[in-house]
Amino acid sequence: MKPSLARRHFLKMALAAGALPGAPRSLRAAALPPARLGKAEHCIFIWLGGGMAQVDTFDPKTMGNTKAKPFLAGSYYQAIDTSVPGIKVTEHLARTARLMEHVTVVRTVNHRVVDEHAFATNLVHTGRMISGNVVYPSIGSIVAQQRGAANPEVPAYMLIGLPNVSRGPGFLGAQHGFVYLVDTNSGPAGFTRPEDVGPDRAARRLSLLEPLQNRFPADSIPSDYRAAQTEALRLAGPDFMRHFQLGTEPGSLRQRYGGEFGQRCLLARRLVQSGVRFIEVSHNLNFINGTGWDTHNAGQLQQHVLIKELDTALSALIEDLEKQRLLDKTLVVVATEFGRPAAFDSGGGRGHQGTAFSLVLAGGGLKHSGAYGVTDELSKTALENPVSIPDFHATIHAAMGIDPHTELLDGSRPVPITDGGVPIASLLA
Amino acid sequence: MICLRNKPVAIRLSVMAPLAAILTAWGGMMPPLELKATPDPMMGAVQAEICEQGLADKDAWPEVSPRATESFQIPAFGLDTLPQKYVDDGVRGTRPSPSLLRLKATVTLPAGNHRFLIRSRSAARLSMDGKVIAETPFPPKNGGDGSQAGSEILTPLDLGKGYRFAPAGEYEKIEDVAIEAGAHAFTFEVFVGGREGNKPRRVELGETVVALSSEGQAGWELLSPSGKGASYSDAGWEAYRSQVESTLAQRNASTRAALREKQAEIWKKRRDVAAQWLASTPETKVPALPEGLTATSPIDHFLAAKLLEIKAQNSHSAPNAVDFFRDVRPLLESRCLDCHRGNKAKGGLQLDTLANALRGGDSGPAIVPGQTETSEVIHRITTNDADEIMPPKGKPLTTEESAILTHWIQEGASWPELPLVREEVTPPVEDLAFLRRVTLDTIGLIPTVDEARSFLADASSDKRARLIDRLLGDDRWADHWISLWLDVLAENPNILNPTLNNTGPFRWWLQEALLDDLPMDRMVTQLLLQRGGDREGGPAGFGQASQNDSPFAAKGTVISAAFLGVDMKCARCHDSPSGSAKQEQLFQLGALLASKPLEVPKTSSVDPVKLHAGGRKPLIEVTLMPGTTVQPEWPFQEFADPSVVASLTAHPGDHRERLAALITAPQNERFAQVIANRIWQRLMGRGIVDPVDNWEKGTPSHPELLRWLGRELVRNGYQVKPLARLILTSQAYQRSVDPTLRQTDPLHTAPEPRRLSAEQVVDSLFAATGKPFRVEPVCLDLNGRRDTGNSLDLGRPHRSWMLASLSNERDRPSLMLPRLQAVADVLSALGWRGSRQDPLSVRDLAPNALQPAILANGSMSGWLTRLSDDNGLTELALKAPTVDDLIDSLYLRLLTRQPSEAEKERTSGYLREGFDTRKVEHPPKPEVPHVAPAFVTWTNHLLPQSNTAKEKLAEAARKGDPPTTKLEPDWRQRCEDVIWALINSPEMLYRP
Repeated sequence: MKPSLARRHFLKMALAAGALPGAPRSLRAAALPPARLGKAEHCIFIWLGGGMAQVDTFDPKTMGNTKAKPFLAGSYYQAIDTSVPGIKVTEHLARTARLMEHVTVVRTVNHRVVDEHAFATNLVHTGRMISGNVVYPSIGSIVAQQRGAANPEVPAYMLIGLPNVSRGPGFLGAQHGFVYLVDTNSGPAGFTRPEDVGPDRAARRLSLLEPLQNRFPADSIPSDYRAAQTEALRLAGPDFMRHFQLGTEPGSLRQRYGGEFGQRCLLARRLVQSGVRFIEVSHNLNFINGTGWDTHNAGQLQQHVLIKELDTALSALIEDLEKQRLLDKTLVVVATEFGRPAAFDSGGGRGHQGTAFSLVLAGGGLKHSGAYGVTDELSKTALENPVSIPDFHATIHAAMGIDPHTELLDGSRPVPITDGGVPIASLLA
Repeated sequence: MICLRNKPVAIRLSVMAPLAAILTAWGGMMPPLELKATPDPMMGAVQAEICEQGLADKDAWPEVSPRATESFQIPAFGLDTLPQKYVDDGVRGTRPSPSLLRLKATVTLPAGNHRFLIRSRSAARLSMDGKVIAETPFPPKNGGDGSQAGSEILTPLDLGKGYRFAPAGEYEKIEDVAIEAGAHAFTFEVFVGGREGNKPRRVELGETVVALSSEGQAGWELLSPSGKGASYSDAGWEAYRSQVESTLAQRNASTRAALREKQAEIWKKRRDVAAQWLASTPETKVPALPEGLTATSPIDHFLAAKLLEIKAQNSHSAPNAVDFFRDVRPLLESRCLDCHRGNKAKGGLQLDTLANALRGGDSGPAIVPGQTETSEVIHRITTNDADEIMPPKGKPLTTEESAILTHWIQEGASWPELPLVREEVTPPVEDLAFLRRVTLDTIGLIPTVDEARSFLADASSDKRARLIDRLLGDDRWADHWISLWLDVLAENPNILNPTLNNTGPFRWWLQEALLDDLPMDRMVTQLLLQRGGDREGGPAGFGQASQNDSPFAAKGTVISAAFLGVDMKCARCHDSPSGSAKQEQLFQLGALLASKPLEVPKTSSVDPVKLHAGGRKPLIEVTLMPGTTVQPEWPFQEFADPSVVASLTAHPGDHRERLAALITAPQNERFAQVIANRIWQRLMGRGIVDPVDNWEKGTPSHPELLRWLGRELVRNGYQVKPLARLILTSQAYQRSVDPTLRQTDPLHTAPEPRRLSAEQVVDSLFAATGKPFRVEPVCLDLNGRRDTGNSLDLGRPHRSWMLASLSNERDRPSLMLPRLQAVADVLSALGWRGSRQDPLSVRDLAPNALQPAILANGSMSGWLTRLSDDNGLTELALKAPTVDDLIDSLYLRLLTRQPSEAEKERTSGYLREGFDTRKVEHPPKPEVPHVAPAFVTWTNHLLPQSNTAKEKLAEAARKGDPPTTKLEPDWRQRCEDVIWALINSPEMLYRP
């Protein structure tokens, strides 16, 4: 060190750094009020692919009628009271209704992308319209990149569902992608050994591999790969893989969670405990009603079975997280690509609607009030407190302690973490 | 009634007897029939005719049989692909939908009660001697998007073992016909494509077949006039169709060639213009070789001269001093150069070269060697004045970082042009490593054992040059090099409902351009003209960008980076803050591509309120207001003057022709150099200008070499392969790896260990093990019921590049493609992108845990490692005479090298036990179950049983094929372990 000439500058620097402790001086920081940040440590992001009908679930309206001619627009099921006075949901959400003090249904989410599921799915996952210049990261990848895993021994972002680009890391790069499993029986791809490779055989394989790994000098590029390989093979071992052993949970609890979707939620809770930061859980099971949440035409008829399945698993998850003292630090999100209109299609089902629909937040240490935002009498538009997709993303980031004004870097190019989203202030009060 | 595919169809039997009774009666009671060739002018061939006209836009047979617009011959009544339609300059075009295929032949048959089977995707009818004897129906209309159609029957007709099941979505019909002996004229007419609502369906054939089961025979054969009808079994059909496929490929190639010949004149003229230009401009002299050195390519002269120069520059710095490239350059790169580089450098200060830094900017010299007090840089990074501090955004420099700069200036600011990574070059790479390297770099695969052994055995002195020539002539060159252009041009087809900035599948045009060795100027011209079928694989598909608010502005950023090395990404919404690209220039370029004025959408701009919200002068500027209409105009006068257009194109008034001419003109030196630089980067690891897609950010390491390479490309008629030959034959390319290098040495004293591309790894693993690349077709609309705009069939891949996004944003198990997914998982982990929403020139190859994980435990690795009957390594294991021989072969096959003594010892210790008894004496014959494959496609994917079927397939894909019964399980497993270790060895992933 030869600091003589530069000492004056070093002192100045120390002051400057002290004045701005680690805060990035954003382009727009001065214009925006500092966001209040929450304390959630994990996020379980439940995905209802197809477009959940808010009027049949979390934003009930007066009853419609498909027996009448013409069809009468409105909810398909009766509304019931919940544990939060004045807040109602439909009858097939009876179990969740009793837990609404832990829940906020954001009823006024809106966007304009309703023609195609893939497009809207991309929007709700990335918070952005597509662009020919940038592949935007999913919210899971952003949270994983910003916060890393809570336990360095496990992946930061896991997906229980099918891989697609909307769930991917975009410009953040492959290291911020998900580790996925398609269902609770198959185990995570890449970390689950083939059935005919038991621990002994795996050990023998490793001993054959080892001399081949040592052919490159330390601190070479291939030695970096070797380090990644050691990490990957460790993850395939019992320390990580035991988290997938749902059989170790009490039978009564497993029953309480319900079918495969419930088991996925239970696995998500176990992964939270293991230190995974963000877990997306997909509700993509065999279409009990023929169409899943995409309830066009006759898909409407058995929609209540889907709703009940969601109700069972979601309520079990909230109760279980609370019992395990994890609810305050685990944000549960129920998301879908768009909603559906109160009016029926010609086949007695429902089309797509983006002008107003419901996404659900639970736990995560937020100040819940059962519902946020008010829609009109048929839930067609927002009357109070509209929430854009960027706002919703900003709310998740803020809840997770991530400054919603943060800028991500696509190479050297700064990209705001959301497209101007503002968190819902009352949830973070 | 028998339930045939798709809906119950009655089989009309000429002899009304129960089917079972008929089958029994045919049980080989009569001698096999001989089908004799007829003395027909068509001599043993089926005349195939395509009729593009005379069909109404409705599902009905025309009253008048339409005239053939195209005809060709095939050996039998079996076809599953039409010859490609080509238009314009030999690019893929669109056939009208519907079109009609007619197959005609005279076939001599013996008398008897024969059974005919017809199969087709849409309506078909077979007539004999003018009388219709079998028909299949028109498909029903889907209505809506077809996902609600939902009533497709899942099980095809099953006539017992040996009966080939109809492929997904095919109609089939069986008729028994009593026939008199003699020649009969058969005509099989098939509808291709059709309308879904008012939109066309894809003009694709299913498995279009007339098969015959003659009286007295049990099996089926394709109806054929030659008398040698191929067996219509699974294996028979596979052999037949691949024979027809290669005939059609040849036909396709000659159709392209013939169309191109029509444009020969203008291209000859262009070669003359290029020759004149070369003659009228000064040549770049190849430097003399420094004393004591040798060379195998002029490239070596350039590199040797530069190495000497840089050695001299680097010889001054003292030990322990701040090292510019190790310590200073990274700081400048990450903290300064984004703004202080290029024509639009902030404050007029460029910090990219010593000269520029000394000259300084508006505030005076940035650097005064030896004097920190007067060096503006030091003041700016240490001030606490918020208006002066640098960098203006992000965290200030740390005290350590400022100290580095301070010391460096104190010590005299030594700034050599390039770092001297190594003093001397490494020796030439040994034969086997060279073979592996050059085979990977040309055809994307590792060499076979035979290639390795014969290359080793070859004692001739020119064997490397001959090897290079052989590889440059290999058609698989296209399979490897296409990946570059798919990335750079952001080819991004979605097989379902394209909404994610999707293009058409112009991969097929690219593949053909590479197969045909199309000169780069002509290939780029074809791309920019965007002609042909956008959904059929023509370059028109490049012009698509689904749901993009300004598709042609987006394409402008693609082509400026691809062909001119100009990064215009920022200019999509505002002027580039660091580069010189203005938004107006991008929209001018976009308007040329669009062939019409472009309006700037609001969504392609930045709200001025947001922009000025921060207080300090915003870093970005918006000089083009939303709503402005921008005219087509060439924005790059500095590369080529518009006056060059007249001599280069027949239609200078056409915007696209004009654009193509200006980009590819010989006078546009930038173009040839950008192409040469990209080829150089792929082969040598780093561009002479780096980054290859943003020249404003990079200074050429070897400017004379770059200019020389550009001129060589022009001299060779813009052919890439002669340029590749210059590089591959050089000593520089053929040096051995320095394993300690962490990045490419710009002086190319030695290559670094370079990660192979995802495609190279996957394709090499399949090739080396011999395991068939067996995956689903890249298609979710197997029966072609959707309209062309909403569905694509990208075919059955046999190389990795043929995969695409599997497009399951719907998250539905019934839309899974599990075997493709297993391969895509490996490819994606290694840096391939299924969804290419934006262009990419150089992939991120950094290691992460997902890569070794998926190679260790993923399904694909399971298939490759398992010694199943169709794994090529199984045969190797069975035939190896000794353990040592087996180990040698495995190493050679997978790693292209001999095992060391220690490796041999260790491995044979593992495999010796039980080696002599590894073969099972009388292995139980594996049972091939005769089970119809599940048929899940868009129109039935909402049925619960479609989910179940796909989940079963996913499970089967995870499990992989069963192991062979020919090897004792214990020994087999140990052999698999050895294979697993070789496949997972880091060496597998790095270029030798």
